[in-house]
Amino acid sequence: MNLKAPTIDHIRLISLYWSRYAVRSGSGLVYLLIALVFGLFVAHILITPVEQLIARQERELGQMNPEVIRNTITDIGQPITQWVLGQKSLKEIMQQATARQRALMNDSDDTSLTVQPLKSDADLDPWARFLLEKRPALLSAIFLVLLFGMPFVISFLAYNQVSGDIQSHGLRYLLLRTERSNIYFGRFLGTVIFSTAVTAIIIVTIVFYLGIKTRIYPAPALAGWAVHGFLALSILMVPYIAVCSLISASVDSPFLSLILAKVVIAGVLVLAILGSVAWKPAKYLLYALPWGWQSHLLHPAPAHCLGAALACLLYAAVFLMLGYYCFERRDL
Amino acid sequence: MTEGKRPGGLTALAVINFVFSGWSLFGLLSLAAFFAFIGKIPTDNMQEAQKAQIEAFQNAGLPVFIFIFALSIITSVLLLVSGIGYLKQKKFLGRMIGNIYAVISIASSVISAKMWPAEMGGSFNIATMIGLIYPVVTLILLNTTFKDDLTN
Repeated sequence: MNLKAPTIDHIRLISLYWSRYAVRSGSGLVYLLIALVFGLFVAHILITPVEQLIARQERELGQMNPEVIRNTITDIGQPITQWVLGQKSLKEIMQQATARQRALMNDSDDTSLTVQPLKSDADLDPWARFLLEKRPALLSAIFLVLLFGMPFVISFLAYNQVSGDIQSHGLRYLLLRTERSNIYFGRFLGTVIFSTAVTAIIIVTIVFYLGIKTRIYPAPALAGWAVHGFLALSILMVPYIAVCSLISASVDSPFLSLILAKVVIAGVLVLAILGSVAWKPAKYLLYALPWGWQSHLLHPAPAHCLGAALACLLYAAVFLMLGYYCFERRDL
Repeated sequence: MTEGKRPGGLTALAVINFVFSGWSLFGLLSLAAFFAFIGKIPTDNMQEAQKAQIEAFQNAGLPVFIFIFALSIITSVLLLVSGIGYLKQKKFLGRMIGNIYAVISIASSVISAKMWPAEMGGSFNIATMIGLIYPVVTLILLNTTFKDDLTN
């Protein structure tokens, strides 16, 4: 097999055209709508209880106390964060919640509007403490859910990078003017550009809303953490887009490509979780995709964060090269 | 421009329009049932927030109900008609009606957020922004990306 060296100018041209064409082709439009609705819906679910708490505080105390609100968010977010980061099992979380509920019921006064110290502060892991106390906890919670949820959504954008044109034999006309490598890598880059732009829209909207409407976090803290979250989400999407590139280059039906992308991305997670119930080592299946360590993109240690980002790029490179190998050899 | 050259995005937009239109019509039935029984809902054993929400609707009266109902019918019909217009790539049925739907939808979201009490879904929040996504995307796409596709 003769693998042709890609041409930067061609890749740039194809990627820019592909990112602009994404909305016209339909897949970009569907992804844009699903990603925006998903991102804002996650924010809605997490921000609404806080807004209700603020409204209640203003009604009963006459003013909003950001310190109390922040403490309450940290208190509620602590078990969820520990579970998401894999520091506690669901059983432990439930036991902790039951014990806490009992303690609250014994406490006759309604203390929900006053400053509450974190009762289990001592066993709070440095990572959870970083996300909940050192950074805006509400934004951390939104990022954790988005890091988990966005890989399911990305296939709506990335499933049809080449499979549609393989099916219609449309690539034959394009191959008169450029090489397969330029088409393959150009379309991958175009998809990454579009995905990054949509991620930016989601994050800017949420952060702008948090800054203007709720006003419980200082603007510089929100902005700094938003940039980190944006970079984490954008980099995380790259290996998943590469998986879709590989699948798209391997099959000649866009619909089959979408189904396979969904099955592979969700299947790895489901198999690892269900499989580990019966056989513990099955949990390592998570590392077939970034599922096993993707939350490390929000780790407090910069070296850890950078390592996770590099791992994302390494996974992407492997999937991309496998896809390119298939694409270069296949009949178009 | 012939129908054969219709971009996939425009077809997707039409399908989404039909889905939202059907959804809106189904919502009308729920709305009618809700307002028919709103006066009979006992609020004695409810939580404070729920009670305030039900009472806000009970006190809103018939004009508000008619306004919400009429608006739902109008947006539903506009979505359906513009969806057909997208498929046939019509300038008036597609681009014009689609733009009218988007403007009415954005205006109604802003007016609801400004005028209605929070208990009735008023006040500007993230849900308002979710509601604005589709009309805003429609408005942008009809006047940029698909501008030259709706010319018949």
